Amino acid sequence: MPEWLERAKNEYLSRRLSKRDLDEMHDAVRKAAIKDQETAGIDIVSDGEAQRDNMIDYFTERMPGVQVDLGSKRFYYDFYESVVRSKLATGTLGVSEEAKFLSKFSTRASKVSISGPHTLVKRIQNKHYQSEDSFALDLGRMLNLELKELVRAGAKYLQIDEPYYGGFPEDLPWALKAINAMVEGVDAHVTLHICYGNRYGKPSFEGSYRYLFPHILEARVQAVSMEFARRGDDDLPLFKEFNVPFQIGIGVIDVKTNEVESAGFVSDRIRRALEIIPAERLIVNPDCGLVRLPREVAFSKLSAMVEGARLVRKELGK
Amino acid sequence: MIVHINHISQSKKPKGQRSPQSEIAGLVSGSLMSLVEDGVLDPRLAPSLRIHLDWIQYKTNFRDPVIVRRTTNPQGQPMALAEIAIDMRQADSARIPDALAAAVRTIGQPDDNSAGHIYLDEFRPYRDCLLWNFNRLFWRHLGDWEASSGKGFEAALPGGQSDANHPRAVADAVADFWTLLRDLDARGQLPNDIVGLEIGVGSGARAAAWLDRFKALDEQCGTSFYSRLHFILGDYSPTSLERAMSAVGHHGTHVSPAPLDALNPEKTLSKYRFKLMYVHLTNVYDNLPFDDLVRRDGKLYLVEVRPYLNGAMVDALVAHFGISRDDLPSLVKTLLDGGPHAVFPGERGVDFWRRLWDTFKLDERLRLLDEGEDAHVPPGLNRTHLEDLLAEAPDDVRFHISRGAGESFANTLPLLHPRGYLQVQDIFVSDMDDYRKGFKGPGKLDGSLVTWVNGALLRAVGARAGYDVHFAPFPYRPGTKTSILYTTQRD
Repeated sequence: MPEWLERAKNEYLSRRLSKRDLDEMHDAVRKAAIKDQETAGIDIVSDGEAQRDNMIDYFTERMPGVQVDLGSKRFYYDFYESVVRSKLATGTLGVSEEAKFLSKFSTRASKVSISGPHTLVKRIQNKHYQSEDSFALDLGRMLNLELKELVRAGAKYLQIDEPYYGGFPEDLPWALKAINAMVEGVDAHVTLHICYGNRYGKPSFEGSYRYLFPHILEARVQAVSMEFARRGDDDLPLFKEFNVPFQIGIGVIDVKTNEVESAGFVSDRIRRALEIIPAERLIVNPDCGLVRLPREVAFSKLSAMVEGARLVRKELGK
Repeated sequence: MIVHINHISQSKKPKGQRSPQSEIAGLVSGSLMSLVEDGVLDPRLAPSLRIHLDWIQYKTNFRDPVIVRRTTNPQGQPMALAEIAIDMRQADSARIPDALAAAVRTIGQPDDNSAGHIYLDEFRPYRDCLLWNFNRLFWRHLGDWEASSGKGFEAALPGGQSDANHPRAVADAVADFWTLLRDLDARGQLPNDIVGLEIGVGSGARAAAWLDRFKALDEQCGTSFYSRLHFILGDYSPTSLERAMSAVGHHGTHVSPAPLDALNPEKTLSKYRFKLMYVHLTNVYDNLPFDDLVRRDGKLYLVEVRPYLNGAMVDALVAHFGISRDDLPSLVKTLLDGGPHAVFPGERGVDFWRRLWDTFKLDERLRLLDEGEDAHVPPGLNRTHLEDLLAEAPDDVRFHISRGAGESFANTLPLLHPRGYLQVQDIFVSDMDDYRKGFKGPGKLDGSLVTWVNGALLRAVGARAGYDVHFAPFPYRPGTKTSILYTTQRD
């Protein structure tokens, strides 16, 4: 996130900048993010999500039935105080605009991400539902409409972000039911992204991915992507131990450090993953979003990732 | 004239009598009026003349009793604004009228050196001042200084002792940490290796007390945390590290030394990124480089300082060592480059160093900051951090940019495990408004210096790094100025 955009976002919150001006800045940054990814050689691009203050507020502000206190933050990256006091209404959130923006400004395949029900449940104060799981299930049904709306807008690749599982492994059974409600009947390639958090560019939790198994096998998604570059690949054999039915996205870029990996380093990580996961089921991606990295660092890391993947593809004759 | 009274005495005095501070405040006002009447002070300048009445709490410090602070534009050219600053603690009421008259006369004559000072350098920001060369010299030759003075450096602290080693403080810190480990263990989230770090190890007494207590508690509770513990002692002073390792020797391989720069622990300990369960610092931040900023009439000035040897005190120094005043600049350079024994052999070299330190003072001026200038922004921080700080600062204020502390803090946080525990014991200014209520350093210690740490800046640094920063009083020693900084993870 450029420092000048952070300042502009804060200015907007202080009512010293209009929404129109801020939107114009966001659009310029999104176009630059797309261009950077294309130049780096990324196969499936995103819009960089600079228009999202964080992974919660962008959704809660748009959710019918969630009350958001717009005076509750001064710093854009903070979370608004938000509360649900009655059953969530049904409605779309308008995230499909992102899919349209991507198809307008890029000819590449593109992906839009949405925060998952478990993550949202942990941030929205619940004053209506009997339990977190019933709240999550209702959120899953609401977000299901949004995913379908995105598909109607042309999205082929979708991602659900769930960074809080690691802190609450006991929630996994109901969290995955909500995921399955969310993807029900969605005609797209859906990836479930699980990491240990990337808030402020640092992990929120630590541990082993073993807690995910075997529950994760129930997720009716096409792929699961996970953070491996920063943590090391000690947990990779879990995919061999359990017969995982979906594609696996392996994080090969550490997004929590400005140190840029070399292409050789990346290709080594991919080769180690290939010892466990067949090539046709392996997706190469960064550990998480690159929003906390300086732009030139993010670009260099993406370029290294592309080059590392190219080296391995060449070895595989692809 | 505008009089800023930056300190109000809380001392008890008989009713009807005036305190020494109020005596001096009255004398200052009367003397300045007389200077206008006598034609010494231009009546056109008098209304805008600023007088700062400070009370510097350190027995020794870097200021002469009455100084003039001139202002310059960003390029260093003189500007009209000038201040006279008086230390009410040092000021001798019999000499106030003459000292003020001399100060007023020199406002427009920056090159006046009738006091016979020996200047050692040009005006520079605090961060680049020779002061830090002296500080490094002290920690490098700590043993020589202590042998010569006959007391350990902790005895030179304002309270005469370090709050780091207080047994109850150590016991409570250990208990809190042990509770954290137990909670993580219950959730199956405790790492196999429990790594702790102390930055700035002093004599090693605190680390030894902490480890002893941790081991005892672990045994008492039947947990096996001690066997998984690895404790790192981090310091840039080889003497301190050696001494501290000796103090914790009975903990064997559970402890290892790490020569590191407190400004950037992450550089040395990068392999522990997000892995440290415990980090502790005592009296480290107050000895790291800083800058001073001044806001006057909505404008922001950087304080620049020029080191000098006080003219009157130098006479005694040169007489004692049989040297000439002209020799002093090169002898200072030899001292800073090669240590005390490079100047004179044996104890005589250390004696020279100690006496020279007594004469070491700082002249000050205020340089207007250019709009786009950012050299005063510490590494690891950005202008947004400072804007956060200025937003909560009073309009007319002088405050520290604790750049070393900010840099150190910003470069320590990435080492913390998500549930890790960081604790700093130091002297903090936690509210920007407190800067208007008293002098916050630098104070002169034996061979080194101490400066209050801008806690509000650290709060801004922490917030941008994902941590809330809190300050709690140090409850274990009545009257102490120490407080405890601790962090909690920001949602």
